[in-house]
Amino acid sequence: MSYQRMTVKEGIYFHKIQTNKFKTNLFAIFLTTPLTRENVTKNALITAVLRRGTNKLQTQEEISKKLEEMYGAAFDCGVEKIGDNHSLKFYLEVVNNQFLPEKEDLVRDSIDLLMDIVFHPKVEEEQFKEEYVQGEKENLKQMIEAKVDNKAAYALESCIENMYQGKPYGLYKYGYVEDLKDITAQKLYEYYKQLIGNCQIDIFASGDFQEKSLEKIIQKNLEGYAERKPQLALKEEEKEEIKEPKRKIENKQISQGKLVIGLDVKTGNGEENYKTVVYNTILGGGSNSKLFQNVREKASLAYTASSSYARRKQNIFIRAGIEIENYDKAVEIIKQQLQDMKEGNFSEEDLNNAKNLLLSTIENIPEEQDTEITYYFGQELAGTQDTIEMYQENIKKVTKEDVIEIANKIQINTIYFLTNQGG
Amino acid sequence: MKIVESLKIKEKVYIEKLKNGLTIMIIPKKTTNKKFVIWGTHFGSINNHFIVPNTNEEITLPDGVAHFLEHKMFEQENGINSLDKLMALGVDPNAYTTNNHTAYYFECTTNFEQALDELMDYVQHPYFTDENVEKEKGIIGQEIKMYEDDPGWQLYIHALECMYQKNPIKIDIAGTVESISKIDKDILYKSYETFYHPSNMAMVICGNFVPEEILEEVKKRLIKREEQGEIRRIYEEEDSAIQQKYKETFMEVSTPLFAIGFKDKIEQKDIIKRHIAIEILLNMLIGKSASLYQELYSEGLLMAEPDISYDFSEQYAYVLITGQSKNPKKIEERLKEEIKRQIENFDVEQFERLKRKVYGDFVVEYNNISDISRMFLSDFFKGINSLEYIEQYGSVSTEYTKQILTEVFDEKNEIMSIVQPKG
Repeated sequence: MSYQRMTVKEGIYFHKIQTNKFKTNLFAIFLTTPLTRENVTKNALITAVLRRGTNKLQTQEEISKKLEEMYGAAFDCGVEKIGDNHSLKFYLEVVNNQFLPEKEDLVRDSIDLLMDIVFHPKVEEEQFKEEYVQGEKENLKQMIEAKVDNKAAYALESCIENMYQGKPYGLYKYGYVEDLKDITAQKLYEYYKQLIGNCQIDIFASGDFQEKSLEKIIQKNLEGYAERKPQLALKEEEKEEIKEPKRKIENKQISQGKLVIGLDVKTGNGEENYKTVVYNTILGGGSNSKLFQNVREKASLAYTASSSYARRKQNIFIRAGIEIENYDKAVEIIKQQLQDMKEGNFSEEDLNNAKNLLLSTIENIPEEQDTEITYYFGQELAGTQDTIEMYQENIKKVTKEDVIEIANKIQINTIYFLTNQGG
Repeated sequence: MKIVESLKIKEKVYIEKLKNGLTIMIIPKKTTNKKFVIWGTHFGSINNHFIVPNTNEEITLPDGVAHFLEHKMFEQENGINSLDKLMALGVDPNAYTTNNHTAYYFECTTNFEQALDELMDYVQHPYFTDENVEKEKGIIGQEIKMYEDDPGWQLYIHALECMYQKNPIKIDIAGTVESISKIDKDILYKSYETFYHPSNMAMVICGNFVPEEILEEVKKRLIKREEQGEIRRIYEEEDSAIQQKYKETFMEVSTPLFAIGFKDKIEQKDIIKRHIAIEILLNMLIGKSASLYQELYSEGLLMAEPDISYDFSEQYAYVLITGQSKNPKKIEERLKEEIKRQIENFDVEQFERLKRKVYGDFVVEYNNISDISRMFLSDFFKGINSLEYIEQYGSVSTEYTKQILTEVFDEKNEIMSIVQPKG
């Protein structure tokens, strides 16, 4: 495996991952811009409109036919919140030429098609095609409303919203139904031009590439685009002292209560990251974790009990699906785990187990194409170029004292419970 | 060892059936650092009525035993939980239960030998007590409740209830809170002794291995078991006709969820060809480039292409199309029209294009050692070698596919299940 990063122009980067582990090549384009209430809905809508047609393949049907002819190449797109930034993501996965039943070349076609979708959309009279925008507005509306369908994900999203009211990270990544009505095909195209001219552009190619022309194809496609200085939000503001955690109870028709506890980690964003990663793994990273062992195995209160670390926002989210009447008991057991971590009530073995789990997770990064791309994109946005080996070394260095230090910088911000009681 | 090879995708599987009846399949992968071992038994939720080979005792199990047994296998007599021990080694272990099999596996990059020791130790050493069986009922109870809140799962179960009257495939894999209350350690031991016999099991190993060497490693970890005759599985005679045309339920969802199913006859001969033809047909009828899908999309009746699948074993076979729509009845009506149209005027160009797509879909399965291993195991219990899909692909003709279209997508086999929004 080898990874190369090339600056095409300032603000536009090409990342090439040469690997022979896969039957496929994976190409990706990410457009990244600061997250704002004004633009969040438009970004989600643009992603959807772009897949509807290009200047060459004017309908979704034509795009789909082209993809199917390319032995079922898979196109996918979506939006993601990365800290206080919003990324519009476009992927194309295609079988590597070596494994086709007949001799054919799909590499060039793949890059051209993906770049056409993102950079050369179907435009009529200086605006997106009206029909596509109207259709996608309706779809997006349904998608935003579908937020409530997956109760566990809904509970997490609601907890985050409560913690970050009025701030970028509290925004829903698909935007807001009430913001849709003012978006016209013309306004959206104007915004698209502004976005594509100013956002950070990252292009990834992962696979076993024989051809040397890859960079040239990419460069040629980007000729019309100027250098730019995307004003991404990269610094995290300091956490405020919290005396009493916020409590939020919400009612829905469910049979199992969903508990989410949002924690603040009051640290900087440098070396301490690795310590927090280890802390989080001991707390709720797997079946050895304190949450799994105490909430599930010992108290038999839950099937799921875990925690996850949102590095860019310096938050940890604890999640458990519990019997509604066990709310107080579960909160109490979870608080006890946080207290135990502060007092160092965990063993060297717990520490080593967590580190082993992390080391193997990191070692697996190159074993999945999209995971590896996500890793290097994360490095790109953090402004670092840590190799996977460096990441592992940093995890190995974390001591028990380091973890206790982090434990004492953690406070409960919000306790959120999605329940069925009280009305 | 028997070797089966695919030159098209450059993969080989080494197969050995040991004297004790255990089948071992080894798929060497030189380019990966990961190693994967999965060990399964041909025992799933539908195997709830059988005759114990050596005693001739006839047993009917409460619903959910196979899944309950899976949960309890990790607990060891010395108090150690094997899942925790494997996690502590930095290994990623897990298990799952399906309709027709249960499997235990781990994935790792380091500590392979110790992990194999542990896997083969715990699968061969059950340890059930009254106390540990009781405790698990709380955890599984929460797992069942999690599924009760999952509209997608309810949709699926109701679709099966429309198709089958007696076949236990319609029973929830985990059982119900009521049915698992009847499970005790004797039931678990009896099921274990019967179904966890090497002659009823298979193992798949994938990674950078020398087949002969890894085979020896497995053999020396096997415990000697008394020979066992064939397990007689008892299934009630099932009518080939569907049970009911339609079923709906109300849950808190934003947009209705729908499942359209076609109950298929159980056809062992040419099952792979049949499966490939059905995959192509589903893509032709309502896949992304299908004119029906494009129409429904632009009319706002579908937001994304429905999930399409064909599932089968010796006991059941059905097609399932699931998705979300404001007007599911309309989808059903239009699908029927499209089937009729294709039967009258089969689109050969579309067929050829989607045949290429389906080839690509099969190749992508070989990207990941975990997908490969699970696929070989699951296909094995259906009496299939997975590589056959690549080999038989070429033999699927237009004539054959047309015939399958008429036979399978017959209105009298069709059912529909809907989850409607509440209130």
